[in-house]
Amino acid sequence: MKASRVRSKRQHGHAMIELAFSAGVMIACLAGTFQFGYTFYIYDELVGAVGNAARYAASRTYRAASPADVEKGNVAIRNLVVYGNSRPAADATPVAPNLKPENVQVSWVEAEKGAPDAVNVTIVKYSVGAMFGSFTFDHRPVAEFPHVGRYAPSESEP
Amino acid sequence: MSVTMLLLLAIVGMAFDMGRIYIARNEAQVFTDAAAMTAAAKLDGTPAGVARAREAVAHLPMRWNLGTQPFTGVVVEFGSNATGAGETNWERDPKDAPALTLARVTAPANGVDIVFLQAVGGPKSFTVPSRSVAAVNPVRLVQ
Repeated sequence: MKASRVRSKRQHGHAMIELAFSAGVMIACLAGTFQFGYTFYIYDELVGAVGNAARYAASRTYRAASPADVEKGNVAIRNLVVYGNSRPAADATPVAPNLKPENVQVSWVEAEKGAPDAVNVTIVKYSVGAMFGSFTFDHRPVAEFPHVGRYAPSESEP
Repeated sequence: MSVTMLLLLAIVGMAFDMGRIYIARNEAQVFTDAAAMTAAAKLDGTPAGVARAREAVAHLPMRWNLGTQPFTGVVVEFGSNATGAGETNWERDPKDAPALTLARVTAPANGVDIVFLQAVGGPKSFTVPSRSVAAVNPVRLVQ
């Protein structure tokens, strides 16, 4: 009777040690899954946002009456990446947490006579903060499309 | 407990590997869309335009596998079906440059290395091919 009680207590002890080890491994696995899964999700959102914005920029009229007009167009493109809308509402939420228009770089590849040949849209210095650390995306993802919209060197942005 | 652990690891591994495959698919799609439009935009009815189209595609900055690897084995083909419907005769080195109205770009070699699923009998690599077709006048994606 006494021996059986001692054996039972030992088994409980073994089970607790086993649980302690396996719980550590399981928690590490689940945390890693969250960390990578969340980062992958955000990266995939950025791939879609950058691709859509680059296509929008490619078909948009390039108005270049002044550098301010070009910049105004670039702001619309950045807004499309960040908010999914070229003219977002004041309370619009970004497609990825803490993503700001400053994290989006829009550059135009110019052909001769200042006409745009292509537009390059990329994410710069954007950090995804997950559970145990952060990943920084700099110059990725990137999308470059040929400009197929109208070139209006003397028009101003409305 | 060990069976549970194995199952847990398999599910975690599947989530990790599937996530990477999904991202690679989207990256490849954005690349082929851009590449097909770029190639179509360069076509001007001359053999030099065809050469410029190929060169422009080769110089696109997009990468895959979380933006770390360049696209390799990219195939640029040209065709002359104006509507994009029905059979199109695709050629890598077209002879009749003035008749070309379509550009097709295929990124066939995006093999995502499988990290975890291998351990439970999964493949070593999973290829995520992508293809897009663009037409000229006006330049637009048709597939």
